[in-house]
Amino acid sequence: MTVLRLAIMILLLLLLLLILSAIALGQTKEEKDERDGKVSNDSPARPLQMPPASTETKEAIEDFDRFQRRGAWERALKSLYTIPEDQTRRFIDGENNFIVPIERKRRSILSALAPNGQAACRLFYDAEAKKLFDEASGPTELKNLERVYSAYFITSVGDNAADRLGDLYFERGQFDQAADCWNAVLRERPDTDLSPALLSVKAAVALSRAGRQAEFEQLRRELSDRYSDEKITIGGQTAAPAAMLDRLLGDASKTTDTRTQSSHPVEAPLDLSGVVDPAWQLRFAASIEAGMTPTELTQWESNTLSGAVPAVAIDGTSVFVNFLGSIFALDLKSGKLLWRSGSFHNLEVTAMQQNVQMIDTSRFDIIASGEHIWTLGRDLKDQNFFAPFQLMCRRADNGELIWRTADLPEYAAYDLVGRPLLADGKLFITGKTNANPQQQQGLPQQFVLAIQPHDGKLLWKTEVGTFRQGRQMYWGYSRDSSPQPQLLYRAGSVYVDTHVGVFARLDADTGALDWGYGYKTDQVQGQNFFFWRGDYQQQEKTVSSQPVQSGEGFLIKGMQSDRLYAVDPNRMKVLWERPIAKSSRMLGASDSALFLGGAEISSLDLQTRQLLWATRVPNGSMDGRVLVRSDGLWQLTPRGVFEIDPKSGRVRRIFRGNDLGAAGGDLLLTDELLLAVSNRTISAYPRRGSGADVSIRPETATIKERASK
Amino acid sequence: MIQKRLRNWDGHLAASRCRSHSLRTSRSAIAVIGFALALTGTVRPARAQYYPGQEYTGSNANIEGISVAGKASLPAKPNLVEIDVEVSASSELTADAIVKYRDARRRLHEAYTALKLANVTVEERGLLVDQKGQQQNPYFWGGMPNPRTKTEVQLTRKLVVKASNLRKMDEDALMQLIGKLLDVAQDAGAKVGPQVDYNNYYYYRWNQNPAGLVRFVLEDFDKLQEEAYEKAIADARARAERLARLSRVELGPIVAIREVSVPGDRSSFSNADDEPLRKRLEMSKYQDIPIKVELMVRFQVHSKSDAKGRTGEK
Repeated sequence: MTVLRLAIMILLLLLLLLILSAIALGQTKEEKDERDGKVSNDSPARPLQMPPASTETKEAIEDFDRFQRRGAWERALKSLYTIPEDQTRRFIDGENNFIVPIERKRRSILSALAPNGQAACRLFYDAEAKKLFDEASGPTELKNLERVYSAYFITSVGDNAADRLGDLYFERGQFDQAADCWNAVLRERPDTDLSPALLSVKAAVALSRAGRQAEFEQLRRELSDRYSDEKITIGGQTAAPAAMLDRLLGDASKTTDTRTQSSHPVEAPLDLSGVVDPAWQLRFAASIEAGMTPTELTQWESNTLSGAVPAVAIDGTSVFVNFLGSIFALDLKSGKLLWRSGSFHNLEVTAMQQNVQMIDTSRFDIIASGEHIWTLGRDLKDQNFFAPFQLMCRRADNGELIWRTADLPEYAAYDLVGRPLLADGKLFITGKTNANPQQQQGLPQQFVLAIQPHDGKLLWKTEVGTFRQGRQMYWGYSRDSSPQPQLLYRAGSVYVDTHVGVFARLDADTGALDWGYGYKTDQVQGQNFFFWRGDYQQQEKTVSSQPVQSGEGFLIKGMQSDRLYAVDPNRMKVLWERPIAKSSRMLGASDSALFLGGAEISSLDLQTRQLLWATRVPNGSMDGRVLVRSDGLWQLTPRGVFEIDPKSGRVRRIFRGNDLGAAGGDLLLTDELLLAVSNRTISAYPRRGSGADVSIRPETATIKERASK
Repeated sequence: MIQKRLRNWDGHLAASRCRSHSLRTSRSAIAVIGFALALTGTVRPARAQYYPGQEYTGSNANIEGISVAGKASLPAKPNLVEIDVEVSASSELTADAIVKYRDARRRLHEAYTALKLANVTVEERGLLVDQKGQQQNPYFWGGMPNPRTKTEVQLTRKLVVKASNLRKMDEDALMQLIGKLLDVAQDAGAKVGPQVDYNNYYYYRWNQNPAGLVRFVLEDFDKLQEEAYEKAIADARARAERLARLSRVELGPIVAIREVSVPGDRSSFSNADDEPLRKRLEMSKYQDIPIKVELMVRFQVHSKSDAKGRTGEK
C-alpha cells in the first residue's frame, strides 16, 4: 500500500514538473516571438484579442497543412472544408503580423496550392461551387458569390464569381473590395477565360476610385504595354483598354467624389509677428474662480478638472464648446455667447467628488456639421465610478437636444470613447462594452459603431476584439488613463487604431472587419494589489495619436508602443518600422517628414527614417492640437504660441498672446482667426494673412492638419 | 592482573582529564588576555583622533592661558548670479537621443548667445549617460519593475548660466537680467533650477527647503576676508583682555589659533557636480553676503606678580 502511495506521489510530481516545464517552454516561445517581432493574436500577453477562430478551426488548418505535405489532397481539402461557415469571419494569424479572417486565410491557402492540389480541389468541389454560383441571384447573390470567392476561388467558376462580386462591390461603392476581386483573378487565375484587359480596366478604375494611386499607375502601364492591340467594350462603347480607361476616369473626375480627399486647400499665411491683441476672449476659468477664498482657489487649482481644456469645434460662423459636459456656442466673429446647455460656475463643488477626479477629461469631445452638433461626455454629478460616456446630438442654432444614446436601448451596453468621426454620411465612434467588475460583467470588448447622425439609429456595430484585462480598479485613486482609440476614414473604409496593439480596417457600409494589424505594445499588466504601486509607476504619457496618411500607407504609433510603423493597408504589408520613444506621438506629416510630439517636437525623415531635429518647448508636446502646415508648426504652450520652422526646427517666433498662465492647449485656425483654447481661456487672434483656408474644420481640414487632432 | 591494568588505565584517564581541563582553562585565559589586548589596541587610534585642545581636564592641570572665540562679519554684495539649467533627452534609439540632446544643447547655447550680453557665460558640467526609468519605491511592496521593459537611453547635462559684474547694476536692472536668463532657458524648453531626481517622501528628505531658482555668489572677497581676520583677532583680543582683567591676570602673547569658521569653505555634499572646489559664498536671496570669520585663540596669561617681577627684572 505504501509503495503504491509512493508511486502515485512520484507520478504526480512528474506530472507537475511536466506541466511547469511546458509553461516555461511556452513562455520561451512567446519571448522568442516577441524578440523576432512576431505578433500573435493568441498571445496571452497582448491586451486585445481580435475575435479568435475556434480551436477546431485552427486544428483544421493545421490538419490541412499536414495532409497537403503528404499529398493526401482529399483529406487535406476535406479538413479545410469542415470549417463551419460561422467561423469564416473569425480571426487567425496571417502573414506579416496581420490578423486575418479565416475566409481570407482559406483563399490564400487555396491560391498557393500546387497544381495537382488545385486539380484535386476542382475534382472534388467544382460541382458544389457551380451550384452555389448558379444559385447566386436575388437576395442570395452577394452571399453566394462571397462564399465561392472565399472557399472555391480556384474552381472553374471561381474567376467568374470574383468578377461578378467585383461588379457588385463596385456598384455598392466598395472600391477597395472590388479592386481586390479583379486583381485576384488577374494575379492568381492565369487560366481564366475572362478578358484580362477588361478586368485590368475595371480594376484600374476601382483602384483610382479607392485612391490607391501607386497600384493604379502600375496597372495603367500594364494596359498600355500588354493590351494595346486589344479592344474592349464597356457600357456599349468599344475602345482600346488604355483609351477606355482614360475615358472612364475622365467621366469619373467630372463627378464629385466625396470619398477621396486628394487635394489640399491652399494655405494662407499665418502671421503672428508683433503684438496682436485678441479679437475676443472668453475667460471661463475666471468665472469659476470668482469669489473663491485663497484656500478654495488652491484646492481648485490642485484639482484635475482645473486643467481640463474644453473640446472645441468650429462650423460656419459659430464656435461650439464642450467644457466638461457643459455645451455652449459662441459667435465666431464677436465671441458672444449664443446659447448654453447649462452653467458651469459651480464646477468646483462637483470637482471635490472622488469619482470626478478620476475622469479622463480629454474624453469630452465635440464635432459639428451643418445643423447639428454631436457631443461626447458624461454627467459629472453621476456618482457611479463606471458611468459610461454618452453621445448627444443637438441643434446647432439653439442647442436643443435631438437625441442621446442614454435614451436609446441599443447603446446601453457601451461606454463610448474616442473622437467621433463624421464621414460618408455616418457618424462613427468607438466604444467598449461596460465591464463593471462589481457586477460580474466580464472582460470588456472593443466595438466600432456606425450611427445615423440625425436620429441616432445604430446602423451597424462590429467587435474589433476583447480586452484581456478589465478596467483597473480605483484603489489607488488614479485617473483612468486607458488609451482612446482613433478613427480614420478613407475610400469607403474606416480604420481604427485601438492603441492597444491592433490597427484594423472595417468596411464603412457594412461594418465588416477586414483585417487587423498587430503591432507591438505594452503587455497586459496585472491588477495592482497595493495602493501605492500606481504612484511610482506613473510615466509621462502622450495622448493617443490618429494614424497619419503617408502616400498610400499609414503611419501608426500606438500610445503604449515603442515602435513606429508604416503600413500599406491595400497590399497588407509593413513598409518599414523603427523604434521610437514610447512617450512620443504623431502630429502630422509633410511629403518628406513626419512631425512628432512628446517631450519635444521633432521631425523624422520619411526616406532615411533618421531623426532630423528635435526642439524642446515648454512642457513638451504631450497633448493638445498642434497646427502642422507646410510653412510652419504652431503649438500653444504655457509660455505662448511657439512657431517652429518645419525644416530646421528653429523656433521662429514666440507669440506670447493673452493666454499666459494656462497649461497649454489647442490651436484652431479659421479664415480670419487663430483660436487658442487653453484650460483658462478661449482667445481669438486675428491671423492677418488673408485667404480661403478653412483648414482646421474637421470635415475640410487637410490630412496633415487633421492628423494632429 | 586485568583489574590492575584497568585501574592503571582509569588513573591515566583521570590524569589526562585533569590535564585537558587545565589546558582548557589556560586557553580561555589566553583568549581573554588576547581580547583585552585587541580592545586596547583598537582604542588607541580612537584616542589618537581625540583633539587634546578640546579635552575637558576637570582640574587646572592643563590650563595654560585663556581661550576665546574671535568673530567678525563683513557684508559684501554678490558679484555673480548663477542659474542651473538641465538639458536632457531620451529615446528608444540612442541615435535619436543624441539628436535630441544635441539640438536641445545647441539651442540653449544659441539662445544665450543671441542675448549678446558680455557678462553672461554658460558653463557645462559633466554628461550623464543614464537609463530612463522609474524610481523604485523602497518602502512599499510595489514589486520589482517589469524586467522585460526596454531601456531608454537618457543623456543629461547640467549647464550653469553665469552673469557677472552684478555690483554695477541696480536691483531693477538685475531683475531684468535674471528674468531674461530664466525666460531664455524656459523658452528653450530646458529644466530650470536644481533638479531633484529622487522622491523626497521616500527618502526622509521630505519637507526640506528647496534651493531657489537662482544663486547669488560672492567670489572676489580676498581683501574683505583679510580684513575680517584682522577684526576677528581684534575681537578675540578684546574678549581675552576682558577675561584677564576680570581674572586679575596679565594677558600674554597668543600661543595657539584655530580656525572655527572660514568663509568660502564648501562641504562635500554641495559638490554633486564634481566641479573643482572653489572659494565662494552663495545665497539664494539677493542681499549682502556676510563674510564670517571665527577663530579660537589661546592667549598666554601670567599672574600679576609674575608680570611685575618680569617688569622689575627688565
